[in-house]
Amino acid sequence: MKRAAIIVLALAAAFASAATKRSVAFDPNLPVLGTKFHSLPAGTGKQQVEASCFPCHSADMLVQQRLTEKQWTAEVDKMIRWGAVMKESDKPAAVAYLVKNFGPANKFTPVRTRPAGY
Amino acid sequence: MPFDEIDRRRFLLLAAAPLLVAQKAVAPRARESMLQMNGYAVNAETPLALLTEYVTPNELFFVRSHWIPRTPNPKKWRLTIDGEVDRSGDITLSELKKLPHAEATCVLQCAGNGRGLYSPPLPGVQWRYGAVGNSRWTGVRVRDVLEHAGVKPSAKHLHVFGSDDPPGKVPPFHRSVELEKVLADGILAFAMNGEPLPVAHGAPLRLIVPGWAGDHWMKWLVRLSPQAEAQKGFYMETAYRYPLTPGAPGVAFKPEEMAPVTELFVKSNITTAPAKARAKHACEIRGFAFSGAPDIAKVEISDDDGATWQETSLDPRHDPYAWRLWSHHWTPSRSGTVRLCARATDSRGNVQPREATWNQSGYLQNSWHFVDVEVTA
Ligand code: HEC
Repeated sequence: MKRAAIIVLALAAAFASAATKRSVAFDPNLPVLGTKFHSLPAGTGKQQVEASCFPCHSADMLVQQRLTEKQWTAEVDKMIRWGAVMKESDKPAAVAYLVKNFGPANKFTPVRTRPAGY
Repeated sequence: MPFDEIDRRRFLLLAAAPLLVAQKAVAPRARESMLQMNGYAVNAETPLALLTEYVTPNELFFVRSHWIPRTPNPKKWRLTIDGEVDRSGDITLSELKKLPHAEATCVLQCAGNGRGLYSPPLPGVQWRYGAVGNSRWTGVRVRDVLEHAGVKPSAKHLHVFGSDDPPGKVPPFHRSVELEKVLADGILAFAMNGEPLPVAHGAPLRLIVPGWAGDHWMKWLVRLSPQAEAQKGFYMETAYRYPLTPGAPGVAFKPEEMAPVTELFVKSNITTAPAKARAKHACEIRGFAFSGAPDIAKVEISDDDGATWQETSLDPRHDPYAWRLWSHHWTPSRSGTVRLCARATDSRGNVQPREATWNQSGYLQNSWHFVDVEVTA
C-alpha cells in the first residue's frame, strides 16, 4: 500500500479510538520513513491486529518479532495497558495470528528506506 | 541562514510534498540505503557495510524513536532549568549559543543494538549491527549551563525531559543521568557534523553523554532539573536496566536485581571483508571498535575460531569515546569457507567476549562478530 494511504489509515484508526485521551502524538512535520511499510500476511486475526496496533506503529514493528505464544500474549496485554483498543473477544484470534506468523522461527528482511530526515 | 529557517523550510516541504522530497538529490549511496525497523515511529539502522568512515554522515546515522514525537517549535523553544538550583529559569537557543562552544566526536549506540542477535529472542526493535554511529557533536557544556543556574550540593541526578509526549497511556520517556557524569562530559548539542542538529536526532537540542548508551542522550530537550534522587517511572525502573549479576540465557530478573544501563561494552564489528578470496593472496579486512572506555587498545582478528589472533592496525584518528577504525591485510592460508571474527580490547583492559551475556531486554550485545569468506585455492 502507498505510504500516504497508510498514514491516513493509521491516523483514522487513531482518531477513531475513543478509549485513549489523545490517541496519537503525530507530528505531521516529522518524516515517516520509507516509501513503503511492511504489510501483514493474510489470515484470521489480521484485521484485529491492524485495527488495534497500527495507530502507534507500522507493521514493521510486528513482522520483525520472533516470539512465543507466552511472549506474544504478554506483549498484547502490555499494549492494551498502554492504550491499544482490542475487545477481549478479539484477543485469542489476534494472538494466534501473531504467533503463527511471527513465532520464534520468523525471518525478517527490513524494507530499504531513504535516509531519515533527508 | 539561521538553522530555524532551514529546518522550517525543510519540514514544511516534507509535510507538503513527500513525493518531491523522496526524490530530493541525496548522495546515491545514501538513497534508500537504511534498514527500516519501523516506518512510524521512525527506527532505522545503517547497513554495516556503510559504516566505514570515521565520522558517520548525518544521512546515514541510525534513528531511534520510541513513538512519533511532538517536536518543539524552534521559534518558541526554551530550555527550562529548575529543581535543586539557586536560580531556575528559561534559556533561549540564542542565549545558549552565546556560551562557550564545546565539541565531542564520539559514538552513539542504542542500548538495544544487537538485540536481534540474542537467543532466545526477546521483544523489542530487532536491531542487528547498525544502531551505532560516530558523530561530531557541537554545543555547550552541561557544566556551563548548570553553573549559570547554581546547582545545590544536594543534587546528584540530572532529570532530563524531551518534548515528546507518548501516545495513549504509554509511560513518558523521563530519564535521569548521574550529575557527576554529565558535569564531567555532558554536552547540550545543537549541531551534528557541522550541520544544524536534524529533527530526527533531537533538534533543537540533544544531550550528549560520551561513552554511555543512547537512552541517556535525550532528544528534543526542553527541561533540565538537578535532583537528589534518580528519576522514577517505566523507562528508569523497568526498561533500560541490566542485571547486576548476569544469569543464564532466558533467566529474567526483578528490577531491583538490575541497574540502569550506563557505559557501553567493548565491541568491534567487521564492516569490510570480501565474500570471496584466494588462498595465499592478501585481502583487506576493515571495521570499527569502541567502548564505554575512552579508547580502544587493540583489535584482533582470528580465522580459526579464536585459537590464534592477528593484531590489526588502528587508524590514528581518535577522540575520547569515539570509535577506532581498524584494518588488516589478511592472507587466507587454506581454501574452503573461512570464518573470520574480530575482538576488541579497550584502554581499561576489557576484552570483548565470544558470547554477550543474554539479558531480558536485549541490551549491549557485544559478541564476537563472525563473517564468512569463501576461499578458493
Ligand atoms: C497506544 C500506542 C500503541 C498501540 C495501540 C500499540 N502499541 Fe505496541 N508499542 C507502543 C510503544 C510506545 C512501543 C515501544 C516502542 C519503542 O520503545 O520502540 C511499542 C512496542 C511494541 C513492541 C516491541 C516490544 C516492546 O514491548 O517494546 C511490540 C512487539 C508491539 N509494540 C506490539 C504491539 C501490538 C501487537 C499491538 C496491537 C495489539 C500494539 N503494539 C499496539 C505503543 C503502542
